[in-house]
Amino acid sequence: MTFLTHLSLTHFRNYAHLDLDFTHRLTLLQGDNAQGKTNLLEAVYLLATSKPVHAQTEREVVDWQAQEEPIPYCRVAAQVRAGEGERPLELEVIFTPRSDGLNFTKQVKVNGVGKRSMDLIGLLRAVLFLPEDIRLVDGGPGERRRYLDIALCQIDPAYCRSLSEYQKVLAQRNSLLKALREQGVQAASPAVDAQLDFWDEKLVQHGAIALAKRQNFVAELDVLARQRHADLSGGRETLYVEYLPSFNYGPLDEGEYRRWRAGNRLGEDGMSGDAGLAAFTVTPEAVAQRFTRRLGERRRRELAAGATLYGPHRDDLRLLANGRDLRAYGSRGQQRSAALALKLAEVQAMTASTGSAPLLLLDDVMSELDANRRSTLLAALEGVEQAILTTTDWDDFTPEFRAAAQCLHVRAGEVFPASEAAQADGASHGGESPRG
Amino acid sequence: MQPLAEPVSRLIDAFAQLPGIGPKTASRLAYFLLRSDESIALNLAKALEELKANTLFCSICFNIADRDPCPVCDDAQRNHALICVVEEPLDVQAIERTGEYAGVYHVLHGAISPVEGVGPDELKIAELLQRIQAGGSAAPPDVDPAHAADWTLLHPSIQEILLATNPNLEGEATAMYISRLVKPLGIRVTRLARGLPMGGDLEYADEVTLGRALTGRSEM
Repeated sequence: MTFLTHLSLTHFRNYAHLDLDFTHRLTLLQGDNAQGKTNLLEAVYLLATSKPVHAQTEREVVDWQAQEEPIPYCRVAAQVRAGEGERPLELEVIFTPRSDGLNFTKQVKVNGVGKRSMDLIGLLRAVLFLPEDIRLVDGGPGERRRYLDIALCQIDPAYCRSLSEYQKVLAQRNSLLKALREQGVQAASPAVDAQLDFWDEKLVQHGAIALAKRQNFVAELDVLARQRHADLSGGRETLYVEYLPSFNYGPLDEGEYRRWRAGNRLGEDGMSGDAGLAAFTVTPEAVAQRFTRRLGERRRRELAAGATLYGPHRDDLRLLANGRDLRAYGSRGQQRSAALALKLAEVQAMTASTGSAPLLLLDDVMSELDANRRSTLLAALEGVEQAILTTTDWDDFTPEFRAAAQCLHVRAGEVFPASEAAQADGASHGGESPRG
Repeated sequence: MQPLAEPVSRLIDAFAQLPGIGPKTASRLAYFLLRSDESIALNLAKALEELKANTLFCSICFNIADRDPCPVCDDAQRNHALICVVEEPLDVQAIERTGEYAGVYHVLHGAISPVEGVGPDELKIAELLQRIQAGGSAAPPDVDPAHAADWTLLHPSIQEILLATNPNLEGEATAMYISRLVKPLGIRVTRLARGLPMGGDLEYADEVTLGRALTGRSEM
């Protein structure tokens, strides 16, 4: 039951200063391009995930004008109303310059007390919809892993911890494999094992938890995304979401696994056919066993590569519609529907596992969607406790929708309440009294 | 602005190179020495000079000492069959302060961290193995027969290796690596217990520490 009540920005992107109250369940931000609508959503997203959107560098987060100032800091803060009778939360992310003058230090505070980034995640859960979400389908595997990681971290703090430990181990193990390759080590030997075994064990320990949680989350997403996608496609297509691991820990034998990986349909024996493999769940123990075996069998190959070749950092997500891989064979429209279905499924999965709906942030998505997809998306808004939307054109939304929402106009890093006249105009001018 | 006298600015720069000291503190220290009694400055200068000239690494445990072997390695009262393996000389001080430890030490001078290019060869691990293998052997012929008993006391066969590397990823990797080498020699290998700090509060303990404390719980 979290509700974002207040957002305060200092030197964040194009906002010098902003103080904004959120009064309605729905907030509609209207403005021309490059006025700061997206930046506002990104600020909220930063508080939810502790990470900037699109893995931008921290330097880009700080207002470029502020960088001319003696102390070019940047602060993003929000007040969040938690459940009934609970104390409101104050979330804060502050960037201050390092002594090298190039990089920034990120500081996270909750109720004024310094915390780890990890502790911020999950306090204000948010799902961000962007016009470029289609990259989830047509982009590289890194985009899809990032999507899974951010969604899962907000749901499950244990996932976040395992992932962070895994990344530390991975960096050490990769450095070791690289050093061994440079020393000309080609095969396993007791001396090599003595150095690698510890990192193998830790890689498996944390990696197996991350893998099992991802696998089980995707199995959940698969069912939910299929339902949402059926609405979007009018039931003409069936979507399957599959987790593609870098080694086989599932129920298939090696031959079947290889055919499935290659994208070939499996036999008609019920196991697969049209249906992919997403719908199975695993335990970390089972994954750990297969993971250990894999690393043992492929030691020579990893030594030759000088890098870790197996584990969650090499995995991918595959989206199939009517048995075809959408990344390679989907039309733009199919890819857009699949990406939207995936995001809507994320909202549902998050609601189901945490007991409350996330804050929805929708950045100018209406303009990209046809009438059918729009109505599916708007229907999804019915079920959430709070949503913030941006648009360039008031007419993307019905008068009834606007009447139920807090309507704001964004211009050059400032936010004004939008008058009804301006909305009726359909023009991009808002009221005149500045807010904050 | 009048420039600082050269000797003063040189001292300020020298102080500012030290960890934890910024330009402000550096000049405060310099002016303190300038104004105070000459003996204080001379004492400091002498101490600094002797710091490098009169310290060395103990050839047995590799701790920093003023003589070789160091007072710990040379102390017949201590249990030389028990070796506590630590990462840094400061860790020796920390364990000595407990007053609970009567064995001897071995300082590795770091922990395994491939990212920083530190492997087993960069640490004093081979020296530890040599020390273990040499333990329990007969006194070499050049030892004065009158002191042979003392010699045996200081070089018994090693009974236990206590791994006291830091409880982080790199420290764990180092402990694991050493234990794999030492265990086959039939020597007991132990690791410092992990758990809650004294005077702490359960509710403020992080999940990992508390989890370890639960799994490592002990009988009352």
